[in-house]
Amino acid sequence: MPPEIRVEGLSVWYDRHHALKQVSLEVAPGEVLALIGPSGCGKSTFLRTLNRLLEEGGRARISGRVFLGDADIYDAAADIPDLRRRVGMVFQAPNPFPFSIFDNVAYGPRLQGVTDRQALRRIVERSLQQAALWDEVRGKLRRSALTLSGGQQQRLCIARALAVEPEVLLMDEPTASLDPMSTTKIEELVAALRGRYTIVMVTHNLRQAARISDRTAFFAEGTLIEVGPTRQMFTAPLDPRTEQYLTGRYES
Amino acid sequence: MKRGMVWHRVAAVLFAIAAAGFALILGSVLWAGLPDLTWHFLASWPNERTGGGGILPELINTGVMVGLTLVITAPLGLAVAVYRREYRMRRAATLNHLRATLLSAPTIVVGLVVYRVAVGWWHWPVSLLTGCLALAVINWPFMVTVAGEALEGVPQGYREASLALGASRWQTIRRVVIPASLAQLVEGLGMAAARLAGESAALIVTAGVNVSRHWSFWAPGETLAVHIWYIRTEGLVLNRDAAAAATGVTLMVLIAVVLWLSRRIARWLE
Repeated sequence: MPPEIRVEGLSVWYDRHHALKQVSLEVAPGEVLALIGPSGCGKSTFLRTLNRLLEEGGRARISGRVFLGDADIYDAAADIPDLRRRVGMVFQAPNPFPFSIFDNVAYGPRLQGVTDRQALRRIVERSLQQAALWDEVRGKLRRSALTLSGGQQQRLCIARALAVEPEVLLMDEPTASLDPMSTTKIEELVAALRGRYTIVMVTHNLRQAARISDRTAFFAEGTLIEVGPTRQMFTAPLDPRTEQYLTGRYES
Repeated sequence: MKRGMVWHRVAAVLFAIAAAGFALILGSVLWAGLPDLTWHFLASWPNERTGGGGILPELINTGVMVGLTLVITAPLGLAVAVYRREYRMRRAATLNHLRATLLSAPTIVVGLVVYRVAVGWWHWPVSLLTGCLALAVINWPFMVTVAGEALEGVPQGYREASLALGASRWQTIRRVVIPASLAQLVEGLGMAAARLAGESAALIVTAGVNVSRHWSFWAPGETLAVHIWYIRTEGLVLNRDAAAAATGVTLMVLIAVVLWLSRRIARWLE
């Protein structure tokens, strides 16, 4: 069973800019949570606090607490590489390494010290199957990942993330740079992964949020305005700002 | 005519002038040097008294000094660039300033400083190794620049993807950033080699203008570029201009081969 995520009073500053203001939120085990909101509202920032990738930029100051299961990931003793192994991430633009397809997927397991070729082969095959890419690349695993199409590259990135057997999957607008066909494939994939992973996904595509998420959170100007079951959110939002945003009338 | 068109023509004419100038230099050197460029010239020792003779030791010295300098400065330059780019170095601005200053310092000044330190204080002889030290000082800011540009060329997405998979920063550098920038690093290395092969001023004072009968790291080690300068100013033989031109042709061919080779290796790595 994947873990739940509990966020308590999370704030983020970039220098003087208060990017995220006292966000508290829970994500249930195995559910798909969609994050929506206007550009610059802090949803990507929020996503990057969940695997502590935000700190790598060096400018962000973070306060508040984030629990993954029972453990506070911002605890001083927290093991960041282990956290990131448990919390996988897929980025907005497909970013496969300029290595072979095999080496891309095997990257994470190799970091953890898996060197046995048979074991690596099994992991790579299983991950590519999970990411619905196996049938398209079997027999071509030695080819450069950069020869794949954009949609295939993104599924490869998902396979790469799945190869380390994470419990949570963070997705930052994973279909923003893809064509409709590839988008459909990724959405089907997310639907197939539901339940096995806790998934948090940023999207600008409201229909996508409506199609694939169990619950939706609406962010605006660094504040969490509203979070609730997707169906209720899209039919009867509680906050007038949510309704304005969903109907295209929101102005920040 | 539109303004863009006018500028386009101006640029084309300027380019043609530059290309013609380059062709003129290249052509005159080839014209003067090619007749003297014989196998015997390449494979024999120079005449110490008259400045004539062959250029075999100069050829060897150039290769050894450039190679040794690169072996020393390439890892150092890469290390500095990695630290500056990947570890959010403090005082990066100071380092940049130092690098830019050294990069634009006249190499004769670098040569004189190295002479003062190595020969004056440490009592090194004017030799191949002292020359290498001067070349290393000249090359390291260039190497830092080249390596820095190669690292900048690696998309940030690669680093983020690696970190997000649980890699440490060092693992990310070793397994992703450096492999991804290897092609550009090799190309930069070729450029550095070409630049060093043409260096003369700093070597005149540190490595000397003659060659020893017994090749050694601690013996004077004249390079091709220095040899050109030497026989043009001090040479006594009748055909000294032709000998200098032939040496020049050799040097240019050497540089062209190095550049071509590094580019080929870079393409292959990509």
